[in-house]
Amino acid sequence: MITQTAPPTPPAAVVPARPSGKRRRRRPDLFRTLSRVLIMLIVIVQVYPLAWLFLTSLRTEQDFATGDPFALPSSLTWENYARAFETGDLGRNILNSFIVTMGANILIVLLGMMAAYAIQVLGFRLSKLVRGLFLIGIIVPVQIALVPLFIDYSAINLLDTYLSMIIPLAGFSLPMAIYLFCSFYEYIPKETYEAASLDGAGPYRIFGLITMPLSLNTVVTVVLVNSIFIWNDFIFANTFVLSEDLKTIPLGLQNYIGAMGKVDWTATFAAVCVTITPLLLVFLVLNKAMIQGLESGATKG
Amino acid sequence: MKKIFRAAAAAAVTALALTACGGASSTDPSNVSPTGEIKAREISWLLSRPADGAVINIMKKLAEDYAKDHPGFELNLITTPDRPSYIQKLETLAAANKLPELFDTDATPFAQQLAKQGKMMDAEQLLKSLDIYDTYRPGALDYQRFDDGSLYMIPFQFELEFIWYNKALLEKAGVAVPASLDDIPAMCTALRSAGITPIAIDGQDQWPLERYIAYQPFREAGPEFVQELKKGEAKFSDPAGQKTVNWMAELGKAKCFQDGFSAQGYSDAQNQFTSGQAAMYNIGTWELPSLATDKLDPAVRNDIDFFTLPTTAGSATAANEFVSPSGIGMAVNAKTYDPLVSDFLKFALEKYPAEYAATGALSPTTDVETVVPANATPLYQKALDQADGLGSKQAMPWDTQLDPTTNGRLQQELVLLVQGNITPEQFTETMDKTIAQNAPKFFK
Amino acid sequence: MQPNRMLPNRSRTSVLVFLLPPLLLYGAAVLFPILQSLFLSFFSWNGISDMEFVGVDNYVRMFVADDIFWRAFLNALVYLAICLVLQLGGALVVASLLTSLRRGRELIKTLYLLPAVISTVAIAFLFVRIYSLEPVGLLNQLFHWVGLGSLERPWLSDVNTVLAAVSAPEGWRFTGLYMLIIYAALLAVPKELEEAAVLDGASRWTLFTKIRFPYIRPVWITTTIMATTYGLRGFDIPYLMTNGGPGQSSELLTTYMYKTAFTSTDFGYASTISVFIVVECLVAVGLILFLLKRKADA
Repeated sequence: MITQTAPPTPPAAVVPARPSGKRRRRRPDLFRTLSRVLIMLIVIVQVYPLAWLFLTSLRTEQDFATGDPFALPSSLTWENYARAFETGDLGRNILNSFIVTMGANILIVLLGMMAAYAIQVLGFRLSKLVRGLFLIGIIVPVQIALVPLFIDYSAINLLDTYLSMIIPLAGFSLPMAIYLFCSFYEYIPKETYEAASLDGAGPYRIFGLITMPLSLNTVVTVVLVNSIFIWNDFIFANTFVLSEDLKTIPLGLQNYIGAMGKVDWTATFAAVCVTITPLLLVFLVLNKAMIQGLESGATKG
Repeated sequence: MKKIFRAAAAAAVTALALTACGGASSTDPSNVSPTGEIKAREISWLLSRPADGAVINIMKKLAEDYAKDHPGFELNLITTPDRPSYIQKLETLAAANKLPELFDTDATPFAQQLAKQGKMMDAEQLLKSLDIYDTYRPGALDYQRFDDGSLYMIPFQFELEFIWYNKALLEKAGVAVPASLDDIPAMCTALRSAGITPIAIDGQDQWPLERYIAYQPFREAGPEFVQELKKGEAKFSDPAGQKTVNWMAELGKAKCFQDGFSAQGYSDAQNQFTSGQAAMYNIGTWELPSLATDKLDPAVRNDIDFFTLPTTAGSATAANEFVSPSGIGMAVNAKTYDPLVSDFLKFALEKYPAEYAATGALSPTTDVETVVPANATPLYQKALDQADGLGSKQAMPWDTQLDPTTNGRLQQELVLLVQGNITPEQFTETMDKTIAQNAPKFFK
Repeated sequence: MQPNRMLPNRSRTSVLVFLLPPLLLYGAAVLFPILQSLFLSFFSWNGISDMEFVGVDNYVRMFVADDIFWRAFLNALVYLAICLVLQLGGALVVASLLTSLRRGRELIKTLYLLPAVISTVAIAFLFVRIYSLEPVGLLNQLFHWVGLGSLERPWLSDVNTVLAAVSAPEGWRFTGLYMLIIYAALLAVPKELEEAAVLDGASRWTLFTKIRFPYIRPVWITTTIMATTYGLRGFDIPYLMTNGGPGQSSELLTTYMYKTAFTSTDFGYASTISVFIVVECLVAVGLILFLLKRKADA
């Protein structure tokens, strides 16, 4: 590691000025420049794909087919977007994804908080066992549930509904949420509860007045992490949804597949650009809250 | 806790057992003319065709026309164009016994099992009762048939597969159109030394490479070879099998396909050909709109031509016999078959061919003339004309023939063979073993 | 001892009120299907035929007779290792670098997260082109430019490189997410501790291993568990990019199970593989907890 031999330079933002001792040498810039360059490089690697995606969605089909895919497009066109909207029903796809993501998130957050509260705060004899039971859910691959769930859903007429997507998505994300809430609740000092208890608050009031408001940042974290997965979920949607009206974004993207698997890629990319925009916006808005959630969670330790 | 567990396990058993046993259908698959009143309702067709393609657009329109006389009727088209996702969906629906009135399937072993269980209507009798059986091209129907000759799927397309080539590139390398399949490896070597990619292939979708392994046995031993092979009655270690295995290895050695083809997709491969980088490209008439119209890059437009599957010395099949698929077929669910479904099919199937031919595609029937689009190059008509002179045999794509496990393994091993990662001997051994293991389960 | 109980007087009912709804959802969506899978793993069933009880035949086949299964298992481990190195190692390095940055942290944090929101279909397509050799893709072009032309190869078709090539995009996608979590934890390390260590003449490395890392260990465990389980569940990208090929070089347990179920319609055997994956994941998480917790106690 580079850090091994570099002079000890604590984060400058934290320690702005230190009395100049005799051990202090003036050679901090090599390390800093190096890390800057590294950070910039990584930023490019992380941002490039999105930029590439957007640029490609503006290419003409001809340019995409024959030109160098990594060069700048020779001319820009909005035609792909027109085709994307014409072929697919993007608005409806986005709406459906939104409903499913919201529905699943509400379940995940509410039930996740409740379970974590029961396990971590209320406590009971088998709480370790229940915790372990939930842990299984973090780790099983979702594919194993497809056939059984399909059979179960068809038995209770739940196929081809929003719920048929929301339930498994929420169910499989619940354990991670419980885990995150539990780790957070661990850090709420016992005294907070004892004080409230002495004031005569029961478990329901404490949950509503203390635990829930305190969890806000963790909620944002849970919602954002899950939204990323749910927004792009393909496998449950493909298995449980039949009608055109309920298709979510990943299913809608299939509309650009032609005969024998030939894909209209430029239209697909235009559609991808359109469909990630809402997620991206939410993300940019809530990003700060999410980071705060993580930070305050970590500071509690 | 234990109690909950036991109860849940018991419930699991019941749920699965219920569905597993509830498979028997109440309708006779051969009773194609049900009696009774036509009661308009919504019916569904689960299909795997392009969302904005000709088949869907025409059937949508026909369903609307039909609904004018039958208020309350609606055709709900559920399409999953991506084939693997479609197959997953079809199988889950079949497992839950929830197949809709109409559904798409190839003549796969899985479909044959559905037919055996009486879940699909006998399409031959159905078409005969509608009095349209004789209008279909025999080849289009044969493509849909199971090995025993029974017919359970109705075709909506008819395609011919050719090897398209770039005259200018062949000339540049000093090679001619191959007279025999066995000429192709040498041809590739010559093209490669002229700095040209010989064949552009979509390796990602697997079926294009699998076509190649079917060619030699079709010429050498006829269409029966794969029918015997899939049951384990013929083997890759047989002479015809060895010929194709070694030929595939030679294609690989001669670097016939673009480097890294196994991960390259459909459009990438096609772009390589249409941009003049690759000399040959094996594809069917469904690509006529991009290969034989003014949509094609002007730089190569006049250089493009095609040839049909070459024969070999002493070939068992003739030059006018090659791959001529009629696409994924439509099966009719026996359980939900009633006067309405029957009446609608009669209405739609009679009107469909004319509408379909008007889009510039080959109809599965012979009673209509394909309308060549205004922007077509002369190649378009030349391609269509091939449909009239077809022989009686056709090369079946192996991916619809083999049992799915063997098919999956074949696709994987084939890439290794062509890339030179395994020897023809290893390939032969693995595949013969795989067939012996899996065939009995599907073809008992 | 009741270390978990924070509220002295809560009724049994209140526990049930809070616990039952989540358990119900979880039971219906996750546990019940797992039990059904376990049940199915003792049968031979193709979805449409009658189910046939075969005892432990499927398990015997899996452990003894199926070469692809073992190949897929090993591949899954390698895939996991690469994802972990990229995600956790990458996240730790970037997070450490980021703490030394004065301005623009917020912006960079956000930019890092971007890949996570792009759908896997687009990512798979992009990387296929990056790895491509004919026509030359970005990676091979880069090697060419820096004079490492001998490294040029079709990354996704070469049986030796394909596994690493499909792991990298998956690892890369979520580096930002883990970086964020670790970064937050690093920020929370009390500055007094660090300063004291610096005054004692500790090097950057010691500072990191003795002060920072022990401090963020609980968060580290969480991230490791998250990354491991997502890694073992990895599916989309290898499935979309290579479908397990060439040969079985990038076949993972999950893709193999999916194919067994939906291509081979062998639901019984696919359930057997699922059961194995569940056990494998449980063992992995157990190991992580055991190793990292024990270190903490030592």
